[in-house]
Amino acid sequence: MSVAPVGSPRAPLTRRRLCRTAAAVLALLLAVALSLAVGNRAIAPREVLDALFHGGDTEAAQIVLFLRLPRTLVGLLVGAALALAGTAMQGLTRNPIADPGVLGISQGASAAVVLAIAFAGVHSLSGYVGVAFVGAALAAVFVYAVAARGRGGATPVKLALAGAAINALLVAVTMAVLTTRAAALDEFRFWQVGSLTGRDAAVALRIWPFLMVGAVLVIAVARGLDALALGEDVAKGLGQKVATVRIVGGLGAALLTGAGVAAAGPVAFVGLAAPHLARALVGSDHRWVLPTAALIGPVMVLVADTVGRILYPPSEVPAGVLTALIGVPFLVTLVRRKAVAA
Amino acid sequence: MTTTGDRTASRLTARGLTLAYEDRTVVDGLDLDVPHGAVTVVVGPNACGKSTLLRALGRLLKPRRGAVLLDGTDLARLPTKEIARSVGLLPQTPVAPEAITVADLVARGRQPHQHWWRQWSAADERAVTEAMARTDVTDLADRPVDELSGGQRQRVWIALALAQETDLLLLDEPTTYLDIAHQVEVLDLVRQLNHERGRTVVAVLHDLNQAARYADHLVAMKAGRIVAQGPPAETVTAALVRDVFGLGSVVVPDPVTGSPLVVPGRPWQSPADG
Amino acid sequence: MTTTAAAPAPIRPAGYALLRAGPAAFLIHRRAALVAALLTLVLAAGCVGYLSLGEHVVAPGEVIQVVRGRPSPDGLVVGALRLPRLCVGLLAGAAFGVAGALLQTVARNPLASPDIIGITQGASACTVAALTFGIGSYAVLPYLSVAGGLLAAALVYVFAWRGGLHATRFVLIGIGFAVALRSVTQLFLTKGDYLVAQKAQVWMVGSLNGRGWAEAVPLAWALLVLVPCVLWAARAQRTVSMDDDTATALGVRLGRTRLGLATLGVLLAALATGATGPVDFVALLAPQIARRLTRTAQIPLLCSALLGACVVVLGDLPARMLFAPTELPVGVLTAAIGAPYLIHLLVRGHSGRRRAAGGSA
Repeated sequence: MSVAPVGSPRAPLTRRRLCRTAAAVLALLLAVALSLAVGNRAIAPREVLDALFHGGDTEAAQIVLFLRLPRTLVGLLVGAALALAGTAMQGLTRNPIADPGVLGISQGASAAVVLAIAFAGVHSLSGYVGVAFVGAALAAVFVYAVAARGRGGATPVKLALAGAAINALLVAVTMAVLTTRAAALDEFRFWQVGSLTGRDAAVALRIWPFLMVGAVLVIAVARGLDALALGEDVAKGLGQKVATVRIVGGLGAALLTGAGVAAAGPVAFVGLAAPHLARALVGSDHRWVLPTAALIGPVMVLVADTVGRILYPPSEVPAGVLTALIGVPFLVTLVRRKAVAA
Repeated sequence: MTTTGDRTASRLTARGLTLAYEDRTVVDGLDLDVPHGAVTVVVGPNACGKSTLLRALGRLLKPRRGAVLLDGTDLARLPTKEIARSVGLLPQTPVAPEAITVADLVARGRQPHQHWWRQWSAADERAVTEAMARTDVTDLADRPVDELSGGQRQRVWIALALAQETDLLLLDEPTTYLDIAHQVEVLDLVRQLNHERGRTVVAVLHDLNQAARYADHLVAMKAGRIVAQGPPAETVTAALVRDVFGLGSVVVPDPVTGSPLVVPGRPWQSPADG
Repeated sequence: MTTTAAAPAPIRPAGYALLRAGPAAFLIHRRAALVAALLTLVLAAGCVGYLSLGEHVVAPGEVIQVVRGRPSPDGLVVGALRLPRLCVGLLAGAAFGVAGALLQTVARNPLASPDIIGITQGASACTVAALTFGIGSYAVLPYLSVAGGLLAAALVYVFAWRGGLHATRFVLIGIGFAVALRSVTQLFLTKGDYLVAQKAQVWMVGSLNGRGWAEAVPLAWALLVLVPCVLWAARAQRTVSMDDDTATALGVRLGRTRLGLATLGVLLAALATGATGPVDFVALLAPQIARRLTRTAQIPLLCSALLGACVVVLGDLPARMLFAPTELPVGVLTAAIGAPYLIHLLVRGHSGRRRAAGGSA
């Protein structure tokens, strides 16, 4: 790694960061355990471990292995994907409230999938991922282009509003398809609000390569994001290729969002909250923020999913509903702090 | 030529005025009598509380303690519309509604004199016409305010305050955004109003020399307190400038008006130049 | 304009006609009056079209017979089905239009309309909650949606307040609450049984489908009560369109006036939402278009109301007919028109330029 900044005691800082990252790992393990053990039918931790390591034919083992384990894996991947995407977007737009949900990018992926199902006969999961990626990328480019035009460039308000507008438009499109094709209502409902209900292992298997590529792209520009935080001009002055950072990072973020949405639908606000929690834990260095956010995102998704399972049994509250409820206080706090300039 | 104090008693006074934003006290226990029928200029370094004081005089800011009195009555006890018929105010950064025309904006200055059943009167028409003529914006009447230059816009806002036809006029840095010719024009207008109509004016100005030129009564503030006040010729001294602004200077008579002119000390030089 | 230095020509606010009656004198914006007249014509034509078109086409002459209360073979289709639905659309549209105009004026921001800052979402959440708890009576629901709207507005206000009300902060927090309240609605949907969910689902987008006199009559009464307030607002609105300092200097009781205007706006939006569900973007769209048509310095209330009614009524007609016999919720159509318009506003740069509404310390 590079030279430590002058005057900052490096060793204690690193130790603190390591400690806190370890805490995040612990929280993640706890969330995974809960997700495996809690549900319509509670299963004791010992039985869970038994099932994981020795398999077995008991009902509990079957539930853990074939229902909850795949679901938990998908939750892990989706949470990490959205958190990384959110971190990258916040860095790229230099905007603390950027998030795939707020900016309408998740909805873009979602609407693309709905349209593909309705009019192009796409029914395979890899088809979904590809279409979702294209939808996310288009929405991202469009929202940013809209917000960046006019006076003052892409301010938080303009980004949020462009996102809200795109969101509304895409929801209208989705609704129109839904209402006119009532027969397919159930297949579509999932694409309105993100949820982990009924996701199987195949989903996890299909999306992880996309996720990996996206993660590598985003992590590759971590230093660039650090420089961008000081402003575009300063970043240029520091010798960063700003355009390259934007394109590579943006591609990575769109890929991650597309993969996340294809797997679980638009799960809101994970990409907003996780990066801020991560920054609170490990500071603003993106080489630390990105991995930490990737730990915290899954915690949010898994906890939301687990809570959703036990709230109104036997029906399940979609994870996306609960993450939105958890995420909004974050947005409010952020906006109330002076972090968001007009 | 600068005579103060011998006019009638003050209509606008501040007593034990303490002003604060949230938990930061800006002005503490200040007393001030605004001389009637004179031009009072408040000067001081950045963040000394001079604009805050002006906002309080115009009831834009509620005092934490103490009061601003208009003809002996606490402003807080007077209906705001009644105050608006006596005290006019030009804020530092006024914002016009989008796409409003100049005549329309200046006519808004008549609001305190109007009722829902009498939205326009001959007096309104006369006041607006005159205010626009005085500020030389008559030719702009039908132009949208958005399209004007900074200087034109400032004159339109002054016209609005004039159309209000108040005896007291409070101006918060009326010369910002203006080039030097327009600055002089605005300040001349202020003096003219004062002279011809006997209007009392309180202005906050950034430029000490302009203050010394145009004020009858100069108020120098520092850290929320009044350090000195009186006719500029008696108040502005090298010692005051050092005390208030922390700047070494020489004060000489203005070659045109004879008022005090502050010339800052020698600029920084390389030690090699000797 | 030709002026001589000695006696300048008298100046009057441009574009206004002066109506005198004894000591009273009113300023009427000429262009606004013209636009209002034209909009009324369009709306009247739209209403006749609305009543006559559909799966069963009724001749306009016959429609007028029915409306005048004459017996007619088409009495059922026009009088019992389309007419109440039209009334709900007209009233709700007008209410949305005025609500948007008032809130946009108070926030001095075209984006602060009730459907963006969470007020209609609050009203929806409350209504859907009531539906899932088995309260389905139209005598109670309007009050609940008003309560929901007011509560949402109060929440946004409280959280956006920080030693002053900053327009940007207000809008951002409003957007946040809109998302949260939509989630709350989803939450209740999950809780409720399938039939309730189905009913609420359609209601969530804003639709006139199946609306009858049961919704129209209470809405009409409520709006009638608010008419005097709207008249007050039309005048008060003019005074708050200036920045805070100038308005105060001109003798406006800013706090009270603003609170009054905002409360009225929230009430209207929530009432309309209670009857039709959140018909997105009408409240954003109508005032902005009205203002561009009239070119007034403040948003014209009457024209906003007329335009709101036009948008909802003329939007519901294709929504009814496009995919017949399936009906599209009118909210889908208004969103499809309104979202691009919002984007257009953003691109034109109308958001960032208005200065903060709060004091800068």
